[in-house]
Amino acid sequence: MRRVIDNDLLTLIVRVGVGATFIYASLYKIVDPGAFAKSIWYYHLVPGDLINLMALILPWVELLCGLALILGVFYNGAVVLANAMTVIFIFALSATIVKGIDIDCGCFKAAKGATGSAWKSLSFDLVLIVFTLQLLFSRSRRWMLS
Amino acid sequence: MIRQVATILLLAAILGLGFNFVLPNRIAYIGKYRTISSGSDPIVPPNAALGDPPFIAVDVAQLEFISGGAVFIDCREPAEFECGTILGSINIPFDYLPDEDLGKYFDSILCGVPKDCPIITYCSGEECDLSLHLARNLQAFGYTKVLIFFGGSREWEKSGLPIERKRVCGE
Repeated sequence: MRRVIDNDLLTLIVRVGVGATFIYASLYKIVDPGAFAKSIWYYHLVPGDLINLMALILPWVELLCGLALILGVFYNGAVVLANAMTVIFIFALSATIVKGIDIDCGCFKAAKGATGSAWKSLSFDLVLIVFTLQLLFSRSRRWMLS
Repeated sequence: MIRQVATILLLAAILGLGFNFVLPNRIAYIGKYRTISSGSDPIVPPNAALGDPPFIAVDVAQLEFISGGAVFIDCREPAEFECGTILGSINIPFDYLPDEDLGKYFDSILCGVPKDCPIITYCSGEECDLSLHLARNLQAFGYTKVLIFFGGSREWEKSGLPIERKRVCGE
């Protein structure tokens, strides 16, 4: 097991995969912070005064983490942040599903889609955390810029 | 490791706050939000922009309702409209607006309603912004007193105000 986790090639593939996922996820949020603020607002988990700040900063944390993972710079910090963010996403999505926030949504199609997408995103994040944990425990430090 | 985390967070904060400054669709650094259960200010969604029709709280919507001078428009799908809507509302589902001749379409549905008559758009509640989008369209086609009741039918019903149901719907 240890040898698998520490495998250089596996770690590289996971680094690039997780990094690309974070970069991809950050881009639409960076160009449309208003839409992302609205998404955060829906969760009812963040105090109102902090929503916009979070909508502005969090996507850049994702982008920088993604880049750091792929390039292998600030690597340990990026791995910790990637794990922390994934845990927060899982917590937020679970809370949404438990609270059933979407159930009453007026946008019939959007509501159904949103409920479905919360489950889909949660499943995705549960898979993602397997990979981010692999990076956390892997001792491989090959093919990194620093 | 902590230093790396702090560096990434600091860099992200600088880039995020700085990039917003040059974005054409930038947002306020501190948003104004409230939930349905607190305060009496109108609910304003985060994607509201300068120049949008005004947002009204449930008490203002109620006053307009009592005075009988305003037209209430439910922007949701017919299926949801039928399940429970503000008494006397008309249904203009935002999702089914025609692509062309929108002005004529509005005029035909709001037949006889003067352009300066108060029109209140709403949907279910704060998760749904169809009311904002329809209000923008109505405003663009010359309706000058469009108001948005973002609390929607849910806040209306919670406040004990009259709801009309055309059929019984499950949860």
